[in-house]
Amino acid sequence: MSWLGFPKFAGTGCLSKLMGKTAPEGCVREADLPGRTVLWRAVREQRRDVALGALLGMGHQTGEALVPVLIGVAIDRGVVDGDVAGLLWWLGVLAVVYVGLSFSFRYGARAGERASVTAAHRLRTELIDRVLAPEGGADEGRLPGELANTATEDARRVGAVTMALVVGIAAATGLAVGAVVLLRVSVPLGLLVLLGTPLLLWLVHLLSKPLERRSETEQERAARASGVAADLVAGLRVLKGIGAEQAAVARYRRVSRDSLTATLRAARAEAWQSGVVTILTGAFLALVVLVGGRLAARGDIGLGELVSSVALALFLIGPLSEFSWVNAQLAQGRASAARIAEVLGAERAVRSQPSPGGPAPHRVAGRLRLRGLSYGSLRDVDLDIAPGETVGVVAADPADASALLRCLGRRADPDAGAVELDGTELAALDLAELRAALLVAEHDADLFEGTLLDNVTAAAPSRTGAPVTAAIAASGTDEVVRTLPDGLDTAVTARGRSLSGGQRQRVALARALAAEAPVLVLHEPTTAVDAVTEARIAAGIRDVRAGRTTVVVTTSPPLLAVTDRVVLLDGGRVAASGGHEQLVHDCASYRTAVLA
Amino acid sequence: MTPSQARAPSDGPVLLPVATPARTRAAMTELLRPQRALALTAFAVMVGSTAVGLLVQPLLGRIVDLAADRASVDAITVTAALLVAVAVAQGGTAGCGLSLVSRLGETTLARLRERFVERALGLPLERVEKAGAGDLTARVTADVSLIAEAVRGALPELARSLLTIVLTLAAMALLDWRFLLAALLAVPVQAATARWYVARAVPLYAEQRTAGSAQQQQLLDTVAGSSTVRAFRLEREHAERVAERSRSVVALRMRGVRLVLGFYSRLHIAEYIGLAAVLVTGYWLVREGSASIGTATAAALYFHSLFAPVNAALVLLDDAQSATASLARLVGVTDQPPPPQAARPMGTGRAEVAVRALSHAYRAGHPVLHDIDLTIRHGERVALVGASGAGKTTLARLVAGIQPPTSGTVLVGGVPPTELSPVAARRTVALITQETHVFAGPLADDLRLAKPDATDDELRAALDRVDALSWAEALPDGLATVVGDGGHRLSGDRTQALALARLTLADPPLVILDEATAEAGSAGARALEKAVARAVDGRTALIVAHRLSQAATADRIVVMDRGRIVETGTHDELRAAEGPYAALWRAWSDTRDADTGP
Repeated sequence: MSWLGFPKFAGTGCLSKLMGKTAPEGCVREADLPGRTVLWRAVREQRRDVALGALLGMGHQTGEALVPVLIGVAIDRGVVDGDVAGLLWWLGVLAVVYVGLSFSFRYGARAGERASVTAAHRLRTELIDRVLAPEGGADEGRLPGELANTATEDARRVGAVTMALVVGIAAATGLAVGAVVLLRVSVPLGLLVLLGTPLLLWLVHLLSKPLERRSETEQERAARASGVAADLVAGLRVLKGIGAEQAAVARYRRVSRDSLTATLRAARAEAWQSGVVTILTGAFLALVVLVGGRLAARGDIGLGELVSSVALALFLIGPLSEFSWVNAQLAQGRASAARIAEVLGAERAVRSQPSPGGPAPHRVAGRLRLRGLSYGSLRDVDLDIAPGETVGVVAADPADASALLRCLGRRADPDAGAVELDGTELAALDLAELRAALLVAEHDADLFEGTLLDNVTAAAPSRTGAPVTAAIAASGTDEVVRTLPDGLDTAVTARGRSLSGGQRQRVALARALAAEAPVLVLHEPTTAVDAVTEARIAAGIRDVRAGRTTVVVTTSPPLLAVTDRVVLLDGGRVAASGGHEQLVHDCASYRTAVLA
Repeated sequence: MTPSQARAPSDGPVLLPVATPARTRAAMTELLRPQRALALTAFAVMVGSTAVGLLVQPLLGRIVDLAADRASVDAITVTAALLVAVAVAQGGTAGCGLSLVSRLGETTLARLRERFVERALGLPLERVEKAGAGDLTARVTADVSLIAEAVRGALPELARSLLTIVLTLAAMALLDWRFLLAALLAVPVQAATARWYVARAVPLYAEQRTAGSAQQQQLLDTVAGSSTVRAFRLEREHAERVAERSRSVVALRMRGVRLVLGFYSRLHIAEYIGLAAVLVTGYWLVREGSASIGTATAAALYFHSLFAPVNAALVLLDDAQSATASLARLVGVTDQPPPPQAARPMGTGRAEVAVRALSHAYRAGHPVLHDIDLTIRHGERVALVGASGAGKTTLARLVAGIQPPTSGTVLVGGVPPTELSPVAARRTVALITQETHVFAGPLADDLRLAKPDATDDELRAALDRVDALSWAEALPDGLATVVGDGGHRLSGDRTQALALARLTLADPPLVILDEATAEAGSAGARALEKAVARAVDGRTALIVAHRLSQAATADRIVVMDRGRIVETGTHDELRAAEGPYAALWRAWSDTRDADTGP
């Protein structure tokens, strides 16, 4: 049995499948040093397990190589010679070899697999640390699914390189042992097997390559059926809403039939490929037997040696084919390591500057000043917000709002000008301290798995007490709590999908209010709630935030009505400023922005 | 409010049914019946292929005998040539046999998944909701792909291994029945090992899959919410959450590795027992003179060649077991009765709604609607207004016929909507909720779900009607652009516009809109409001109004509070009445002057 007869962790035992590399080597630039650094660091960190696994793997392969040899010897010394003592002696030797190979396989594979999963785990946590780093930047331009995939699949593939090394070293040992035994039996026979086996594998590879390429594209087509089915089920409500079930079933049937045709073609190619491998292996075996049989008939080699050689010729296909598997794993590992290195080395969106002299959260007065701020669509914006003031910001163009929010939350640094908190530039503050002092609650903020209360108090100084209760009431979350079966203890599923849009938004607002940040910036906190509740929330925000600086970026009249003053951003500049009612009366562009 | 929130904690999800083993077997037999001839041919070819392959060992044994007798070189060459012939025959038949086996498996799988999707899409929405959204999705993704993998990988491999084992043992018996007895000494150990393994492997792999998807879920949760995580300084907590899930994946993985390795260690014992027994038997038979050295060699080689297929077959046992469990979950759904076809056609032929003495409770004792009476005339546009939790969504669902009311009646065109046949329902009423979905594939295909025979011009007209034509044509490939999962991503308001375009194509006389414009943000909301107005133009419409500006343009406004209708009338009537609606309107348009009305 070879390492590859172990489908749970080493791919499949099917010879033909191991011939091709799953990732073309060409896709990794040789000069891609960081990727290589990631790869070798992963291996280095697991060097103890890799060394142990390789050592035991060598023992296992030696044992596997010896089994056929010992069968031959046992036949020779026991059966041919009719010597019961000889037979029993060699059976005893076989038993010892079995114990040895079994033991080394068990603990060698365990060490190799441990190295592989531990390396993957470490890479995974490192990736997440980088993605979550306060400076940001790693998740920009990458879809969440893509990043999650890098943290699972790519980390796994890089980890698997450690296992591949273990297998590779062990296979080389098996090959060497087989070679030594064969050459000792007979030099011509040994050379025939040693040169013939790689040639055979190369031939199989050559023959199966076009088949494989075809079957890969067809397998992709075949996979479509399950994708479409999942998509239709995901849109079940929409289908039912317009009564499109029949049309969907008809469409699925077409896709399924199309997939079937593709799958059958791929399966046929694979079946014939496996047939060709059988023919080639059989022909090679016949050649070895022909040469060996002639040598034995001439008396150049013993019968037992003939049996051993034939068995060894069959055995050597195993370790040799493992090399191509190892090679494929290394290529995959390199490609994955490059992707991981790219995320780890992603440029940081902003730089963190720990500043011991900066304001500690409890000492923040809350004066917010924009000085000649230019970023994205914003042009030279000046704004001074006094401590404790509640200011509404209306952006005629949503791009202005998002540029402003990015600067305030320091998700990006301005192109020119600066944002100051209590007279200090934001760029001079430590990011963690800054975000404790100035909280930007985005419109599309996510909820996380946990109870409703966990979510509300995620950033609150305490899980209970008046501030939390007040935040829950002010955000209208109290109404949400009343309709839920377990109230505040109701479990919220990942990303808050178990709640409706309006419920999610209110819980997110409660979380922002409960954080009790000295300066709070709210972005469109009520787009998904009904008019009655919105008016209640507006008053609630005003009460809860009394005495603390609050900026509300919105176009909603009820929210703007409770602010001290409103600033209108138009064309990237401050176009007007004043009370909400006054602006509604006096400023046409303001009226269009909030009431049209 | 959706029913998932209204559900009581006690009556948790009621999962869709799972078929009994007997029923699963019966369903499989039924699926295979039309392919009996194919199945028999495939089996025969595979048997032939494996049998031919078993000629290799006797031929090798013959060469040993020839060499022992110092026979002529020609005899050895002839035997070697026979080996080549055997290889060609075996390879050829194996290729043919495996193609047939995969055709049998794949065709059956395709028919199963088609039947599954048909039944799944026909399930009443209420039933799917009760089971929880994940149940059906898991069956259609995880279970189907598990079975597909088994059909593609495990099934041919298992078939081949089992055949090899059976025929090899038969061949050993042909050499001498005592070789078979010796080989069978390994079986008790193997059988015990297999039982030991499967009992542990199946639950462990299920646990691994759960842990794997929990990790994936947490990663998506954390990564997708990373800007929120940073804003609220939850970095450490989330890093720890991910690490914890990852650690549990690692721990389960190592448990699996230990299990499999223990399994192999036990099999090594069986291998040794059998091999030693065969060698001793060979010694004995040769000494007795009832077998040649070549025969003894062939027997030993036969047994050595059994290692690989035995290990393969035993390892595949748990794959086969999980595939069977998945199959039971699929059959559980395909056994559901198809939606009733012979239900009543639409009664009066007019899209009018009559709600009488309607009350509804999702859980007993907690009514969310009380004694509702409401008539919507043909062609009338009615807006439902009220705070969250007032019962608007529930009323909309009952009128749409998603589920029957607890008491009272709903009649659409004189017929309860829950009793309309799917065909009649499709021609009568459409429901658009805030749950949107873009179907993966070309945009035109998405739209044609609503009207399969629509021409390109009709599609364009529908998009134009909801103001979506300009952006749709500006997509990289116009209407042929692949959208949805894995394709071009559409923003929230475009997704909703698409839903309205589908509605226009489906062209039902009665439309129920529930919060269709809720999430578009204020700028997009106004554009969508216009699109909604055009999409429902000429139809009877019940609109759950989110923004009061949408209510203001309706023919009639129905104000709800705590499950009751508290006020009805036109915008002007209600404002003049100084009731709840007037208060709402003031709150919403606080600073609005009378003359800046809608």
